[in-house]
Amino acid sequence: MIATQFPPLAASLFSLMAIGSLLLAFVMLGSRWLKDYLLAFAAQSWLIALLSAAVGYYGNFPELYFIAALTALFRGVVLPWLILRIIARLKVDRELHERLSPSSSLVIGAALVLFAFVVSSHLGRTLHLEGSVAVLALTVMLSMKLIGFLMLAVRGEALSQILGILVLENGIFLGSQILVPGMPLLLELVILFDLLVIVACFGVLVRYLVTHAGVTHARALRRLVG
Amino acid sequence: MRDVGLQIAQVATVLFLAPLLQGVIVQWQERVQRAQGPGIFQPYRDLWKLFHKQLVVPETASFVYWIAPIVAFTCVLNVPILIPVLTNYPLPQSDMGDILGGGLILTLGSFMVTLAGLDSGSAYGGIGSSRAVLLAILAEPTLILVFVGITLLAKAMLPFVVNHLLVADPALYWSPAHLFLVAAFFILLLVETDRLPIHSSTHLEVYMIEEARILEYSGPLLALLKWAGMMKQFILYTIFCNVLLLPWGLSVQGTALGALAAAVALFAKFLFVAAAVVVVETMQSRLRYYRYQEPLAASFLLAVLAIVADQLR
Amino acid sequence: MSSESLIAVILLAPLAAVLLCLLVQHPRPAEFFNLAAAVVVFLAVLALLPHSLSGPQRLADDYLIVDALSTWGLLCVASVYLLSSIYAIGYMRRLSEDARLHRFYALFAGFALTTLSGPLMNNVGVYWIAIELTTLVSTFLVCFELGAESIEAAWKYLVIVSAGISLALLGTVLYYWAGSFALGPSYSLTWAALREVAPRLDPAIATTAFLLVTIGFGTKVGLAPMHTWLPDAHSEGPAPVSAMLSGALLNTAMIGIARFLQVSDAAGSGALPRAAVVALGAFSLFVAALFIVRQTGIKRLMAYSSVEHMGVLALGFGFGGPLGIAGALYHMLNHSLNKSLMFFGAGNAMRAYGSKRIGAIRGLPTRMPVSGWLWLAGAVAITGAPPFGLFRSELTVLRAGLRSDHAWAVYLMLVLLIVIFVGFLAHFRAMYFERAPAAAEELQSEEDIERAQPLRDFPDAWCVVPMALALIPLLALGLWWPDFFARCFAAVAANLSVGGRS
Repeated sequence: MIATQFPPLAASLFSLMAIGSLLLAFVMLGSRWLKDYLLAFAAQSWLIALLSAAVGYYGNFPELYFIAALTALFRGVVLPWLILRIIARLKVDRELHERLSPSSSLVIGAALVLFAFVVSSHLGRTLHLEGSVAVLALTVMLSMKLIGFLMLAVRGEALSQILGILVLENGIFLGSQILVPGMPLLLELVILFDLLVIVACFGVLVRYLVTHAGVTHARALRRLVG
Repeated sequence: MRDVGLQIAQVATVLFLAPLLQGVIVQWQERVQRAQGPGIFQPYRDLWKLFHKQLVVPETASFVYWIAPIVAFTCVLNVPILIPVLTNYPLPQSDMGDILGGGLILTLGSFMVTLAGLDSGSAYGGIGSSRAVLLAILAEPTLILVFVGITLLAKAMLPFVVNHLLVADPALYWSPAHLFLVAAFFILLLVETDRLPIHSSTHLEVYMIEEARILEYSGPLLALLKWAGMMKQFILYTIFCNVLLLPWGLSVQGTALGALAAAVALFAKFLFVAAAVVVVETMQSRLRYYRYQEPLAASFLLAVLAIVADQLR
Repeated sequence: MSSESLIAVILLAPLAAVLLCLLVQHPRPAEFFNLAAAVVVFLAVLALLPHSLSGPQRLADDYLIVDALSTWGLLCVASVYLLSSIYAIGYMRRLSEDARLHRFYALFAGFALTTLSGPLMNNVGVYWIAIELTTLVSTFLVCFELGAESIEAAWKYLVIVSAGISLALLGTVLYYWAGSFALGPSYSLTWAALREVAPRLDPAIATTAFLLVTIGFGTKVGLAPMHTWLPDAHSEGPAPVSAMLSGALLNTAMIGIARFLQVSDAAGSGALPRAAVVALGAFSLFVAALFIVRQTGIKRLMAYSSVEHMGVLALGFGFGGPLGIAGALYHMLNHSLNKSLMFFGAGNAMRAYGSKRIGAIRGLPTRMPVSGWLWLAGAVAITGAPPFGLFRSELTVLRAGLRSDHAWAVYLMLVLLIVIFVGFLAHFRAMYFERAPAAAEELQSEEDIERAQPLRDFPDAWCVVPMALALIPLLALGLWWPDFFARCFAAVAANLSVGGRS
């Protein structure tokens, strides 16, 4: 198992970056202002790109440098720029219609992290991987997924929902970098571009939302019931 | 014998340097806002003045009114015995209580003052007490979680063990668990020492928490209460610096010179933390009352993350 | 022709249609390109069918797989594509959107392309990407008629399905990780590789990954409780798009779940994976039954019927064994044909009466004689009555269920099918045999969601012929189980069994 073969310094570096990403996910969860949300996402993408490069360095996967550069470029620069343009066009500044206040969602997020930790340590124990960075990677991956779903459920702004889905994808990417760094290059590239296409589609849809429905928060989309 | 002397010196350090810390923080705050500032020794002058003023007791006051300041003062006098202030090895009676015990003693003092605020039956006392209890409900679990995190970090409940471990093991010092604990404790420090964004020591009625509780006091009792508050701040800074953030600079041998140097180093560390606190406070504005949960939720979250990170170490 | 060239034709024809539609920005040529591509694809798939029986073939450097299951999926998609393309010509002409129509056909052909590529993908990760692409393309088809409701439907569709299939991606990553213990850090995750390494997978990870993948792709299939996007998306899109979504797309995702079920069988994960699939199927039937009985919108009624039939498919695959798989596959084809028929009829009714509400559609036989009776026949078929194909396939699934450990699901399915039969046909009885209410009464009823103008001389031949084309095979398949299909199903069952190849 590749994760147990990293040198201890590398493992602690990965754990620092993984936990930093998780912390940024919490910053996203707790922020009301869409620009803060977006900047935290950009910082998280950069951190994950750094993690990818570090895995490539310590694990001797030279193609991961390429992936890291592309991640930093696409997830860290292009995607936030696209979403910034959407924010500017929409003239929406902050989240007004959330179901739970940010502090309550922070506490629920902490509970979700604990749940993810319990699941991952159970998995780690059955696989005899306790104490290695794999359990941490699993925890962070699962908790970012759960936090992403929490964001989708709790927030009402269209942009927050886009960013929630991007956090979901970021979580999977983070986990896959540590757990399966040898995944074929083609797959990683296509998933990266896929993300770009997703955001482009969302951008167009948001424009339609504003033009035809007149609102940007999903709470107002209540006409189709039953 | 020397250790007993050192123990007394620890308590004396806290007793006599606490107003100086308060004075420095207030002075720097004023200077940052381009005002003159009252000078760093002003709290000493305030305490001196209060001790020489007349004591005015409300008619509705009971025995609680009298004993609350004394209990609060005594509690904060006890805590320096338990924590590393001057030396990094345990002194006599320091095993009276561990980290959690120290926290509980501090809470006891605060609890007595809350009771005193209710005791005289005035409206402001009631407001202050209820708001203070709300803040305590939000802050105490976080504080206990932080202490649990510290305990899990070192696998021991004595602050001295934590101190030794952090000095000896840089990997532990820079581990995510420790860094998150520092961040969580910093937020708690801001809240418990009444800094913005929850500035409770203000005289504005809409916001006052601390001042409302002690509004009925005057003269020497007020001096005791204010001094107790300053000492509590000093103690929290001590825990923050000596146990978590900057565990170096404590006397190892226990000589007189070493103790003196440790006191000076302690104050230097405090200046560093005070600078950070002043910067943070100047950058923010006061939060609305119903949003007090937000920084505390963030602190709670950081403590949970620290515990999780610690388990995964 | 060889398989490679047939596959190339199948994939390139819609691609050519996309490009031509975008280049030549006129509606009439766009209709023609799309229809031509659909005809070519259908003929190519028919030609491919005999190839599939000789065993699975891996093409294009192990990226494509042509076996009985994928060809069957292609058959379902291609038949719906052809029927919808014919119908779309008549339907979309009446929308008075001629300026944007070429974009519609480009998106339509692109949607067909991505849906056709789904069953062909051998690499699990690329399969996921194909499903993701279908979502992205079909979102814009759903909101093609720009309006508040359709955009709301498209938004819900995109958000829910994207979030759901990200769970499937997590499951895929977990499978890859579990496989990396045995196969090393870098390997190609094909279905065959996954099945070979399955016995060596750790059971905890295999079960977790399977559950994640089932819920993820189950969102795409429309199994309850992940079905919440389905009624909105299928009811707001134009009728040909709804037919494609129901008849083609849901099947593609179901094929993925079937293949993953085989992997989890090989991994020896015990009864939990199959029980989970059966439970999801039963719950889908339950939810569909509840919503069908009280439904007020005609296309939402069809959408919930899709949920019901996807539940039956899940039950069929969950029961497993040769009978279960045969029943499920037969059901796939029958449902594709039947659902297309139903959506075409619903589209006709909507346009003819100018309303989406069932309450506004009355006296159908006088208004639309030919397509009306075709639609009624389709309604009887889709609720599972003989002599149509769905009766046979549901009966086969029930028989398979009685042989498996999940007999409770069979009883539940029987009861719910009866409930759905009664509820569904009650709506049709009202539409066909009740008198139309007085005009004034109609206007004062609750506001119509889309009060469009009812169309004169509609439906025209373009809209009626596909309905007949769908009904005839449906009747035929109900009366006659072709030997070729039986061999196909046997091949699929052999492939999907524990020791199977492919």
